[in-house]
Amino acid sequence: MHSKQERYGDFQGDIKKETSLIDSLIKKSLKFLQDHNLIKEFSHYQNKGKKYFMAVEFEPSAEVTGGAWYSNGSLDMDFIATVKVSCLMCIKQLKVATVEGIAEFFDKTHVFHNKCFSEKIGEIVQTLVLDNEVMEVKSTGMGEYAGIPFGALCYKLVKKQGGVPRVGALTSIPCGVCPRIHECTPDGIISPVTCVYYTKWLDF
Amino acid sequence: MVTQYGIKLAVSLISAHFGEIVAKVCCCLLQKGTLTLSDITRYTELPSQQAKNCLLVLIQHNCVQAFAIAKEGFGMSTRAITHYSVVYENILHRLRFSKFLTIVSEELDKECEELLEGLLQHGRLTLEQIMLRAMSKQNEGTSVYQDVVRTNFVRLVNLRYVERCPTSEPFLAPNSEEEAPSIGKRGPKSAKLGLSETIEQRAMKAASPSEAKRFLIVTDIGANVTEAKTGASMTNLMLGEKRKHKALETDGSGAATICEKEVLWRVNFEEFVYQLRKKVCASNVRSRLDDGASIILNAMLDATKSEENLKSENTVSLTMDAIFEEVIKSEDGRTMTLDHVRAGLTQLGCHPFIRDGEEYFSVDIKNIIEIAQNEEVESIMLKRYGDDAYRMFRLLSKTGHLVETEKISDMAFVERKTACKILYNLWKDGYLHMEKIISHGSTQYQFLLWKVNKHLIKEQVLDEMCHAVLNLMQRMAYELGKEHEILKLPREKRIGVLGKRFDRIRKVKILLDSSLLKLDDAIMLFSCF
Ligand code: SF4
Repeated sequence: MHSKQERYGDFQGDIKKETSLIDSLIKKSLKFLQDHNLIKEFSHYQNKGKKYFMAVEFEPSAEVTGGAWYSNGSLDMDFIATVKVSCLMCIKQLKVATVEGIAEFFDKTHVFHNKCFSEKIGEIVQTLVLDNEVMEVKSTGMGEYAGIPFGALCYKLVKKQGGVPRVGALTSIPCGVCPRIHECTPDGIISPVTCVYYTKWLDF
Repeated sequence: MVTQYGIKLAVSLISAHFGEIVAKVCCCLLQKGTLTLSDITRYTELPSQQAKNCLLVLIQHNCVQAFAIAKEGFGMSTRAITHYSVVYENILHRLRFSKFLTIVSEELDKECEELLEGLLQHGRLTLEQIMLRAMSKQNEGTSVYQDVVRTNFVRLVNLRYVERCPTSEPFLAPNSEEEAPSIGKRGPKSAKLGLSETIEQRAMKAASPSEAKRFLIVTDIGANVTEAKTGASMTNLMLGEKRKHKALETDGSGAATICEKEVLWRVNFEEFVYQLRKKVCASNVRSRLDDGASIILNAMLDATKSEENLKSENTVSLTMDAIFEEVIKSEDGRTMTLDHVRAGLTQLGCHPFIRDGEEYFSVDIKNIIEIAQNEEVESIMLKRYGDDAYRMFRLLSKTGHLVETEKISDMAFVERKTACKILYNLWKDGYLHMEKIISHGSTQYQFLLWKVNKHLIKEQVLDEMCHAVLNLMQRMAYELGKEHEILKLPREKRIGVLGKRFDRIRKVKILLDSSLLKLDDAIMLFSCF
């Protein structure tokens, strides 16, 4: 087992199949190996319930751990948030930036210890687009895009009025976010006249 | 698109403006589709005369269109049977009268606004009635003032804000077999969805006056000596139109009398909707991009305004020079340079194309409307379901096709379990479409694929908005009713507790009013533009 599956690790059930040993024996030996610091346990990012083992000298591969954004099998939200904020700051400073531009900026300013791969930065920038924090634009090669080749995909901060995103017409009134809207009728128990959300909203 | 709450809203508007009985007839037409008078009396259980009167009120206010169809009777004789069909949009426009009036008062003046207000209140009037009404309000001199009203009226018609009413009961020859029986069963909803032209659409077409006639006026301005100058210019204005109509030309003043006394006029809602659509596009572009882009958009819309373009998806293509010329017409545009305009056009996503060696630009209006609609829907996602849902929804709405759960969770950076839960909730509430795929191998896997269903979402959001408007109106009526004594307090008594209550109800009214206007803007965004 030690020699096999170097980067993917072994699942307890698979070990059983391959070695045809009985459960208790496997458990015991695994425990022994772990106690002697020969193997380590870790979890798969898609399959957290199962236990995986591998020799201590190896690092689990990205396919098992989920990659750079995962730690201990779950999304490393703190890390992601940090990278997001850094990307935003970088775009703010550069006004318009390509993904490569951002990665270069990070490398130059040593924001992160490791080298930044533009592929990874691209993933984060995409979520910023989904967050409606930045928008995708195509370079015209002129004006603020000077220095960026024509037609290249760039990113810009989304313009916000007063720093807050625009609120839709429906969601700016109580009914727009009301969980009881489907039960609300003019003369029912839940009705606009007796509505507490309204009372709160109109409490001047 | 007419939704369940859309119908409720329309009925409540009619009932607030014309009472319960008219609302009953209107409701019957909205739910059952086009009907004959006898059907209406049967369904509403109203006496025939009463039902008829209700219909007349609705017709007067442009909420119902009548039309006749020939039907073979027993034996060989054919009879024309009158059908009534409700014009849903025109009912909802009743929410928007204040917006229409603002447009006129901004673009023209107070007097034109009053004139329009009269028309909005009465639905349909002849020029003579309009003048009598204006004069009863004004106590000053007669003929001078009459000409002022006439002039204002001509201005409104020339700007297409006022039009001739459609024929009251056009006659439709039955044209195809399957169409005739559909009357009465087809709700307004299915009528809109139907691919071939529905009988209601045919009726509307047959009823509306020809383009040349729609805005044709013959007025006898200048009969009064003191107004000779205006009179001359007004006749000039009309001359071109008159030439098209030889019959009218022969006897100018006779035609004028007929025109004043017999022709019915009404407010042209279409033009106002167009103006509001323009406003919405410009303000969306301004908040999303910048002032420059919105100036250019406005200029391009101004330059391309013509009847065919009222609802078109693109602006007309213009050359750079033509756009620039239009841009510098406005005060804000005067500071712009050609480079500015070029950059603005790029921001608007215009891709120029070359025709006869010249560059042409056109703006995709439909796209701007869609962006504005998406913003509204996305804001619902954010507020009701949170950040993660917002991101996932935007992802699905951007991709536009089926995406697997795991992929969504990876791309949106949402834990798989959470992602599953959110997707399921969105699906349950009708915002997403789901497909299951089961892979058969040594072990069975089940994949779930998700997609945004744009059409369904639009309908659902529209329905919720109509529901919200109804709730807003009900709450408003309740609040105002509760404090109606306080609202009548004279200024000197508004002190202490009473003063506080007065202040509160004033603020409540302002908030509710403005929310109602905003919400109605959103309804228009989803249903009229
Ligand atoms: S009136 Fe109140 S209870 Fe009814 S839908 Fe609106 S917020 Fe909800």
